[in-house]
Amino acid sequence: MYICFMYSNELVKGTLKTIVLSLLAKHSRMYGYEITQHVKEQTGGKIQLTEGALYPLLHRLEADGLLLTEKVNIGKRVRKYYKLTKTGSETAGSLVAEFKEFTQTMGKLIDSFIYKPQYNV
Amino acid sequence: MSELSEQQVALISAYIKQHGIAQDELHDDLLDHVCTSIERLMDDGKNFEDAFEQTIKLFGPGGLKQVQQQTFELLTEMNETMKKVTFLFGLTSTFLLLAGTIFKLQHWFGAGLMIVVGAGLLAAGYLPMVLYHKLKESPSNERLVHVAGYLGMSLATVGALFKIMHWPGAGVMLIAGLAFLGFIYVPIYYFKKYQTSVNKPITLTTSLVALTCLVVVFALVNVNSSVKFDQGLAFAEQQSMTDSYTDRSTKMYVALEDVSAASDIKSVSQSGWQQLEEIKIHLITTAEGISRAEAQTMPLAHMGKKYNYDIPTHILFGDEGSEFNIGAIGEALRKVDDGLQGVYSEEVRPLVNSSLTADLSIMFDHNGQSVDWETFHFYQRPLIGVIGHISKLQIDIRQAEYQVLMYLLSQPAASDPPSGG
Repeated sequence: MYICFMYSNELVKGTLKTIVLSLLAKHSRMYGYEITQHVKEQTGGKIQLTEGALYPLLHRLEADGLLLTEKVNIGKRVRKYYKLTKTGSETAGSLVAEFKEFTQTMGKLIDSFIYKPQYNV
Repeated sequence: MSELSEQQVALISAYIKQHGIAQDELHDDLLDHVCTSIERLMDDGKNFEDAFEQTIKLFGPGGLKQVQQQTFELLTEMNETMKKVTFLFGLTSTFLLLAGTIFKLQHWFGAGLMIVVGAGLLAAGYLPMVLYHKLKESPSNERLVHVAGYLGMSLATVGALFKIMHWPGAGVMLIAGLAFLGFIYVPIYYFKKYQTSVNKPITLTTSLVALTCLVVVFALVNVNSSVKFDQGLAFAEQQSMTDSYTDRSTKMYVALEDVSAASDIKSVSQSGWQQLEEIKIHLITTAEGISRAEAQTMPLAHMGKKYNYDIPTHILFGDEGSEFNIGAIGEALRKVDDGLQGVYSEEVRPLVNSSLTADLSIMFDHNGQSVDWETFHFYQRPLIGVIGHISKLQIDIRQAEYQVLMYLLSQPAASDPPSGG
């Protein structure tokens, strides 16, 4: 489930993994709440990751060996920090590169469709 | 910067657990997330209750449980290697089973090995892997049903393998396997599906089709018993024919008491008959591992090795010096033929020939190959066929004996044979 005020679910769905991995590539380690807040702030609220989307993904990425966790006790509770493994940072790099190229290609494609008004009477 | 008290953290933890988060790792993540969110909201001036409510609202109705469900689904999605291995197992086993069955039907080399490896892969490789995946993705109250179902499938596969290979224990495994499937898996699985199904008529019919398939398989497996019945009838028929000829001949021997030739006929045909009987008994005692007395009375249909063709072929064609070699059968027939024809003139020849129908000199066509009489009737033939054919030859002998006796009786001077001897 994704709650997005600006972008449609379909659009964000495919980029969630890229967002999380590239974010973790910039920061050495982050915990779940921090990730959602960071994305929200950086996008001015246009992209909001929900807990229901984020945590399943984090667990899956951990199971796939892309992420590691570090547990820190905060009072009575445990905070789990997520960080990239070697494979994780490689994957992050290739996903980001792929996505950048994708947006360029999409941009070109969409441009070619744009209606050009003709002024012949 | 606000910080929650221990009691507040414990309260939130209990709330999360209460809402169905059973997994510890996920619980830790969500607890920290909810706590942090509440702390931030409290920093903005909200009280604990409002902050809690606002945070939980973000999850939506049933939200917490849904997070777990999604995590579960993502985690249980088979990884690529496992997918590939499962796919390969399934493909290899079905290919081997199909090819093995074709080879088996054609009596080509390697059929047994293919079927054994194929069924083994299916029962011990593919099915457990699919079951493992099923168990991971299904709730705990459904797991037993899946275990029963896949155990049933494995048992049925191994049972079918044993059946094809004529190994003992096939029937029990097949019946147990099909019972698991028919009485537990299919009914419960489809009942569950029916309850949640959007297309109830379709679910209902698919479950009926599945049950029907099981019944058909079960019927096919048990067709054996009707084959047994047919075999029993055939056996009884052969027996009564032999008895009938023996009875009539016995009466004629009484009538021909004074004719010395009659006793020659009796000894010639009896020794030929007995020689064939000995071969039959040897085949049965060896194949079945039973005593001579048991072998003489056991109906063919009851023999466990009745479809085995290795044992009879090995006995008849394996050792040329053996008294039970295939040559002995032809020899017995030839002796009877010579004995009955030699003593009496040309006139009995057509009678004997019409009874002893086996023509040992002609060649037969077997799958495009020209083979002799012995090979055609006995080489690589199942026990049931070999025994049946020898019994038929015995009936031939009795019939020839009867024909010659009839001829003797019809002679005006029955007591004075044309040429002594």
